[in-house]
Amino acid sequence: MNVKEKRFVAVVAVLALAFGTTPVANAMHIMEGYLPPAFCIAWGVICIPFLVAGYLSIKKTLNENRKAITILAMAGAYIFVISSLKIPSVTGSCSHMTGTGLGAILFGPAAVSILGLIVLLFQSILLAHGGLTTLGANTFSMAIAGPFVAFGIYKLGLKLKINKHVVIFLAAALGDFFTYLITSFQLAMAYPSETGGIAASSLKFLAVFAPTQLPLAIIEGILTVVIIIGLETYASSELTDLGYLAGGTK
Amino acid sequence: MENIIKSYLDEMISSKVPQEVHMHSNAIKPHHHHKIDHKHGEGSSIDFYAYNSKIRHWNPTFKVLLSVLTLLLCIVLNNHYVSVAVIIAMTYLTVVKGGLPLRAYISVLMIPITFILLGTVTIGIDFSSEPIGQYNLNLGFCYVFTSQAKLWAMAFLILKVFGAISAMEMMALSTPSSEIIGVLRKAHVPKLIVELMYIIYRYIFILMDVHTKMKNAAESRLGFCDFKTSCSTFGNIASNMLIVSLKKATAYYQAMEARGYDGDLVFLEQTGSVKVSQLVFTTGFLAGLILLWYLTN
Repeated sequence: MNVKEKRFVAVVAVLALAFGTTPVANAMHIMEGYLPPAFCIAWGVICIPFLVAGYLSIKKTLNENRKAITILAMAGAYIFVISSLKIPSVTGSCSHMTGTGLGAILFGPAAVSILGLIVLLFQSILLAHGGLTTLGANTFSMAIAGPFVAFGIYKLGLKLKINKHVVIFLAAALGDFFTYLITSFQLAMAYPSETGGIAASSLKFLAVFAPTQLPLAIIEGILTVVIIIGLETYASSELTDLGYLAGGTK
Repeated sequence: MENIIKSYLDEMISSKVPQEVHMHSNAIKPHHHHKIDHKHGEGSSIDFYAYNSKIRHWNPTFKVLLSVLTLLLCIVLNNHYVSVAVIIAMTYLTVVKGGLPLRAYISVLMIPITFILLGTVTIGIDFSSEPIGQYNLNLGFCYVFTSQAKLWAMAFLILKVFGAISAMEMMALSTPSSEIIGVLRKAHVPKLIVELMYIIYRYIFILMDVHTKMKNAAESRLGFCDFKTSCSTFGNIASNMLIVSLKKATAYYQAMEARGYDGDLVFLEQTGSVKVSQLVFTTGFLAGLILLWYLTN
């Protein structure tokens, strides 16, 4: 562990203690059966343009280089495994990364939209996280909105010449945070409050999930930085293949 | 273990698939703890149950259609009698017909319980500056309130969610993912996506195996002794895993090419045909659900 990492981990520890609680839930998958049919369809339709763009981008990559199919598949499997791992926590409770920020930074948001859709389907079949009817809503929050925000922050940060690791932390943490905002909003639209409508209901969901999701977003940011530092140290040639370093400052 | 290896090999051999993929697919490590808690990541027990289900030989398209139609009816009809009927029927199929231990079934259903409880309570309560509603609690600056009707709505929502989950799990716990992907292929999902799904499904188990080995190695060297160390160990394992997986990806592509891969992945599928009695029962069941909704509405 080098000095940078040490300093970083120390900050994490302080933050984790400051929050006092550790996340209990995993990334916010809306469960099967939670959304009324109209919302299931609407969110699915909203995803279509992004998925088509992702599909075309993957298809173009594969036409240029057929070999990329195993790399893409590995990327998908990697996102799945990363999101199913128990992340470290102080109290021993069980929580998971979303892995979408990392995926967007490494593989680009277009590819992540399709990979994310496949990963979410496998998560609902293999892990009972999320569901088939809520696949559209979950895809929008986790495979589209989160990664696009993470990627946008990452690119913007690099343009502004902010320290790369700070940018990666912000991208991953805010990408996760944005996913949580969108999910709360999706739930609020389906179940508006009687007195305050959708806005009040959004606030309710944000408040209820905040104790688990805020620390989770910060831990996700930190872990993403640790992972990227490891990759930069040992795998710069592989990262160049993925296109990560091409647009970077190194 | 023997069973899974056999079933894996049974169902997916084809000359165009790299041998390595098969070798590694055997490495699933099912865990046999049936505790009611949030436990996964070290291997997928649902996949293990699916391969051991007694109704695995049923036609996968039939199972997927039954599950999806039941799920849709449960959500569209939005009726608590229907939800209860769905829960009972799907539990019967999974536990009695499929031979899954009841404890294992309940532990699978309980995975999303945190989300359900938090989400439902949020829907059930509301805030107001006036003390309205049947039950309210003064928090000093505002009132939390709810009513009998809302509490019933919460209970019905939980029933509906469990009905939907039991319908989905009926499919997941009796149909291995490769067969579900086969159904998607028949439904004309783009070839590229189906291929990616086939390969990703296999790679997941390879990566899980890699992760288990790295985690054990780190754990035996006190890699998870406290929170700080755990964070850096987790990060190092994750980054190392990406490096290993990229190396493997190259090797697998070469293995596929060596076996004549020319851009098409072809899999052998063994699918039983649908029995007339199954169709009759299914139609009766779905019609019964609609009738139940009609009578109680």
